[in-house]
Amino acid sequence: MKLIILFFFISITSAFSQTDFVKWEKADFSYEQPVEQTRRDYSFESANAGEFITKSLTNAYWFFISDVDGDNCPFRPSCSVFLLESVRETNVFQATFMFFDRFTRDVNLFKGKNHYPRLKNGYYFDPAVNYTLVSEKINYLPPGFVVDD
Amino acid sequence: MISVINFYLLIVIFLILAGENIAQDYFDDQFKLGKKLFDEEKYYDAVTEFKRLVYFNEEGEYIYEANRYIGLSYKFGGKFSDALRYLTIAEINAKTVEEIYDCKIEIIKINILRRTTEFALKQIESTEKDPRYKSKKEELNYWRGLANIFADDWENAAKSFALIDENHELKVLSEKTIEEQYSVSLAKTLSYIIPGAGQFYTGEYLSGLISLGWNVLWGYLTIEAFVEDRIFDGIVVGSLLWMRFYQGSIENAEKFARQKNLEITNKALNYLQYEYEGAKP
Amino acid sequence: MIKFFSIIILISPFFYCQSDSFDFFSSQNIKKFADHLYCEGDYLRAVEQYQSIQQSISDDTTDYKIIYAYSLTGYLQKSNELFKSISTESDLYPAAHLLSLKNQLLLNRKSILTESGVSDDSVYLRNLNKLRIISMLYDEEMTYSHERFTYTFDEDEKIPVSKLYDEKFNPPNKDAIAAGVLSAIIPGSGKMYVGEWGDGIAALITTGLLAFLAVDNFEAGHDTRAWIFTALGGFFYIGNIYGSVAAAQIFNARIDFEFNAALNLFLEEKNYFVPVYDFCN
Repeated sequence: MKLIILFFFISITSAFSQTDFVKWEKADFSYEQPVEQTRRDYSFESANAGEFITKSLTNAYWFFISDVDGDNCPFRPSCSVFLLESVRETNVFQATFMFFDRFTRDVNLFKGKNHYPRLKNGYYFDPAVNYTLVSEKINYLPPGFVVDD
Repeated sequence: MISVINFYLLIVIFLILAGENIAQDYFDDQFKLGKKLFDEEKYYDAVTEFKRLVYFNEEGEYIYEANRYIGLSYKFGGKFSDALRYLTIAEINAKTVEEIYDCKIEIIKINILRRTTEFALKQIESTEKDPRYKSKKEELNYWRGLANIFADDWENAAKSFALIDENHELKVLSEKTIEEQYSVSLAKTLSYIIPGAGQFYTGEYLSGLISLGWNVLWGYLTIEAFVEDRIFDGIVVGSLLWMRFYQGSIENAEKFARQKNLEITNKALNYLQYEYEGAKP
Repeated sequence: MIKFFSIIILISPFFYCQSDSFDFFSSQNIKKFADHLYCEGDYLRAVEQYQSIQQSISDDTTDYKIIYAYSLTGYLQKSNELFKSISTESDLYPAAHLLSLKNQLLLNRKSILTESGVSDDSVYLRNLNKLRIISMLYDEEMTYSHERFTYTFDEDEKIPVSKLYDEKFNPPNKDAIAAGVLSAIIPGSGKMYVGEWGDGIAALITTGLLAFLAVDNFEAGHDTRAWIFTALGGFFYIGNIYGSVAAAQIFNARIDFEFNAALNLFLEEKNYFVPVYDFCN
């Protein structure tokens, strides 16, 4: 029931977004079909030694394994990017715990049911900031919510 | 005397008509103001002025033109559903067959642009069936071709353009695009047979080699385990690792083929937008 | 006779032109057009038109329409700036005041307790009071008892308001520490406590399986393998404790989110206790 209300609420607010509520200008419209951004950031840019090591390992993992072993991760950010984000948000140790927790949640076969918000392309949106144990940082989004990326 | 009166009456009538023309001019000036803003690409303000014209134009002689321009302004602002709304109003208020046709085409063009191809094709079909537009067959085929191009259906696009002219520039473009594109099913099939072959087909040699390498390694370890009777190891390595990379190679081949096809499609669409000189949506 | 006609001729077109002379941009006509745009829901354009004639035509209905249109289109700050110019004597002041408070609440979700009424219009004062009291739910602290809190509201409002009060100050939160401790004792149980049954079972199975594999391999004398499984199992074990704490926090964030959504929905349904005027019919 709550879900329905939430949906209703979201749809009401979006219905109000009429076009001429902002003074618009000529739009540059491209004939091209949109290309999904799946490019990976292979740079080694990092703030500290821990992040550098993780980033190097991740790059190698992407290059030799992840790119050729098929699409196995239903989450976005993917597991490896989640680890990178975790290191950036916290430290190597905490990030390891976050990573294993994510791993466990990935093992759960019923993860999709009424749990995660989704991206437009269907992936579950599950950013690392929600797991740093800092309540203020948690950005809760209801399941079924479609995240604009 | 009577003839003098007649003469004066004539002049009065003439002047009254002239007066009407002056009144007409007020609307015409307003229309020109909207048109000027439209030509200057100030589409938001153009909409305001055309709306003003429509609001005060009780006689209704500008309703078609003004709504048409409101629709087109919205179109250039990228606001397609508003554009469709006003073009439909224009179509309802159109007075000649030609004007109705013009609105229909504008509506079709917007559906092509925003890739609601089904609508575009249906509208083209219904216009084609209308006996009033018998002479427009060629033009309608042209827009059908473009609708197919925007829907990434180059085969049907080529067919539509061929109906106009066997050597139509866009027919040539469509055929060239078909030729350049990779076959997704071939890429997948190749990787089914030899892991990595699909990637080779799409020109991704490094990825193909890595795929092949992993499959050889895990395949070897799996078979070795079975040969040495380590059934558990064999099942684990085979299902968790070998199958994963075998499946991955097929997925990867498909992904590359689709990516490259998209690049090829976009190259053609780019040509259509910036270099092609014929009518465009 | 001729003289008579000459006079008619000289005068008639003159009159004709006069009566037909039409100025789209006279204050009157701009206002008419703006009213039309406003009723059409084209608020931003209407405001532009109103503001272009504000020097010459000024009435509080127009002023109210402008702040209302700004509020509706999301220009809350602008709306509130213009509210200041509305005279407290105006009949529309109470509505404008409530509207400005709505804007304020939408801008920063914080209580507006300090606001006091200006006129002695009883409906207005009652709505103001309702808005002030309900806005207390945006704060963390509450000085009102449940009874005093719901007292001001109408009978049909009392139930949802009382429910909101309870949800705010007695939220069904989960204890993060308890979730962690539970998972430390039985892996996965902390997640189950939070309501994540699937994740809890997955945690129990992974840690259980790895523990079994470790013990099994130690018993079989495969020490290296056994240690690898032990380490992996350890990571999963700690990761799950960590994850249980995180899951409890996320659960609480959800409770908070749902409360705010319900509160906003209630206020939205009540239009923030701002009276609704229909200026169009």
